[in-house]
Amino acid sequence: MASLPAPLRGVFPVLLALLLLGALQVVVGQLPFFVYLSSVVGVNVILAVSLNIVNGMTGQFSIGHAGFMAVGAYVGGKLALEMKDLAISGIPHGVSDQLQLLASLAVGGAAAGVAGFLVGLPSLRLRGDYLAIVTLGFGEMIRVIVSNLEVFGRALGLSGIPQTSSFMMIWMCVFVVVLVARRIQDSAHGRSLLAIREDEVAAEAMGVDTTAYKVRAFVISSFFAGVAGALFAHFVPIINPGSFTFVKSIEVVTMVVAGGLGSISGSIVAAVVLTLLPEVLRSLFLQVGGLEGGAALAQKVDQIRMPVYGILLVILMLSRPQGVFGSRELWDAFPRWWGRGRRAEE
Amino acid sequence: MSTSLLQAQGVAIHFGGLKALSGFELDIHQGDLKGLIGPNGAGKTTAFNVLTGVYLPTAGTVRVAGEVVNGLKPHQINRLGLARTFQNIRLFKTLTALDNVRVACLADTYPFFSRARIEAARRRSSKRSGAAAAMAALNNYVDWWRAMLLTPGFQREERALTVKADALLDVMGLLPRRSEEARNLPYGEQRRLEIARALATGPRVLLLDEPAAGMNTREKADLMVLIRELRTRFNLGILVIEHDMKLVMGICEEITVLDYGETIARGNPERVRTDPKVIEAYLGDSYLAAQGMSVPGGSP
Repeated sequence: MASLPAPLRGVFPVLLALLLLGALQVVVGQLPFFVYLSSVVGVNVILAVSLNIVNGMTGQFSIGHAGFMAVGAYVGGKLALEMKDLAISGIPHGVSDQLQLLASLAVGGAAAGVAGFLVGLPSLRLRGDYLAIVTLGFGEMIRVIVSNLEVFGRALGLSGIPQTSSFMMIWMCVFVVVLVARRIQDSAHGRSLLAIREDEVAAEAMGVDTTAYKVRAFVISSFFAGVAGALFAHFVPIINPGSFTFVKSIEVVTMVVAGGLGSISGSIVAAVVLTLLPEVLRSLFLQVGGLEGGAALAQKVDQIRMPVYGILLVILMLSRPQGVFGSRELWDAFPRWWGRGRRAEE
Repeated sequence: MSTSLLQAQGVAIHFGGLKALSGFELDIHQGDLKGLIGPNGAGKTTAFNVLTGVYLPTAGTVRVAGEVVNGLKPHQINRLGLARTFQNIRLFKTLTALDNVRVACLADTYPFFSRARIEAARRRSSKRSGAAAAMAALNNYVDWWRAMLLTPGFQREERALTVKADALLDVMGLLPRRSEEARNLPYGEQRRLEIARALATGPRVLLLDEPAAGMNTREKADLMVLIRELRTRFNLGILVIEHDMKLVMGICEEITVLDYGETIARGNPERVRTDPKVIEAYLGDSYLAAQGMSVPGGSP
């Protein structure tokens, strides 16, 4: 990768990912359970990595991520419903579907980005606990507004959204989010965000327009939360306000904190592990408890899940408060293969 | 005489009933090396905070490069050419030495409109808002995209930033430590890294807040040489707050003495050293009496 000519470095990873994921799509496309599970994992990875841009890199504690996800899911979902009966003529049906999905992702993301801007502009002047409270309030506001709007189906939510998301599409989005986060981290902008996290007064004195940077980080983060929401809307049979509660926000915060604030790979790993954990528990109970007792236990996994999260988090905070990865990255361990070009310049 | 790069006229700042600073005057030109001294709590750091825009002055005006900066934010004032270090070191602790300096190189990252062009637009219009602000904002947004798309221009710029940061680290003798996290550096090197970081913003005036605090005698001596060198090398005006009299008297051409927010003396080191008011502020009037000197203006 290091020897790539400069103009190619930007797009090469994306093309490579497209090819790889396309090939994988052919392999796993026939495994519905796997596709569903990997979709849930993918959406959670996007949420965690995007929240990490605000909570980890910029050091601003936001706990309203589910709110932005809801904006993306509802706006993107509504758009998809409106376009349901349309198809772009002259191209195969599947391609048209995917283009419509992309449009819905873009619009959902943009709507969430605008929401992020509106929330961020006044509230990012606040620090610490105050910002957390404002974002918490915003997340709940969105949920209440949505559950009272006729267009969004009130408490019933939206159903019948075309299930056009695919393994490839979701993991392509994951890849793009991770790539963007990584590149931001390695740029002058990312360093400014880190500087804000480390010392806001000093960053301001060194010419960093701290408010503007925080708002921009917030907008990018909520844009991707919106994309995650729109993706979510395209593979679950129904979206309703219950999917975007405070609990969801906390789940994402847990992933970011457990993985290590500021570590992209930490967010990814934590999102994958914490999403798969219930499934693992479920099959574990089935194995251990035999057919009768195990099945009963397995059904209770969703109730057991939160206490298990809690215990894990307590253990983690006691033994490793900076998170599993701290602020380090998985790819720092393999400097010869990963991002070598950038490291070589340092 | 060259134009004034940093000028304070009748600057006062009151916190409620406390007059932290009043009637503060300062004038720094290119090549000046001035000192600001005074007992603890005299208002030295407060003066720095007013000059750099952390506090809004209650009265008076601050001008940077001829422009009134009252009410501007610290990052805007920094852009006009005023950089500072902090008394209690404020480095970006978990960032490497190199990244600490590269953060401050931000002024050099102008992807769309050059810095000179924005500056020109800002000078053309007497109001600060408008075209220049729009250009700067557009720059910032374009810059996000360049970073995300990893454009060739962006890669060139990042390399240029690294080269510049390395050069500054080299000047401050920190090049071997570039990949070290700032918090792991010894105290004296942290102080020098702060100076390197301030220099990276491309200042015309450098404010050093107790640069020698916590240094041993040898490091202090080296620092004196270094500060003088910086002045000529970067064509700076420098203002130093310092407790170490030897250092201040040794390098500064003009010294302002503050006590309880008031300027009690100003002049060359020799004059300040013998000024009875200064001696009183530092050593008390009983010392003056014991030396058989008159107490100026009675007891405060």
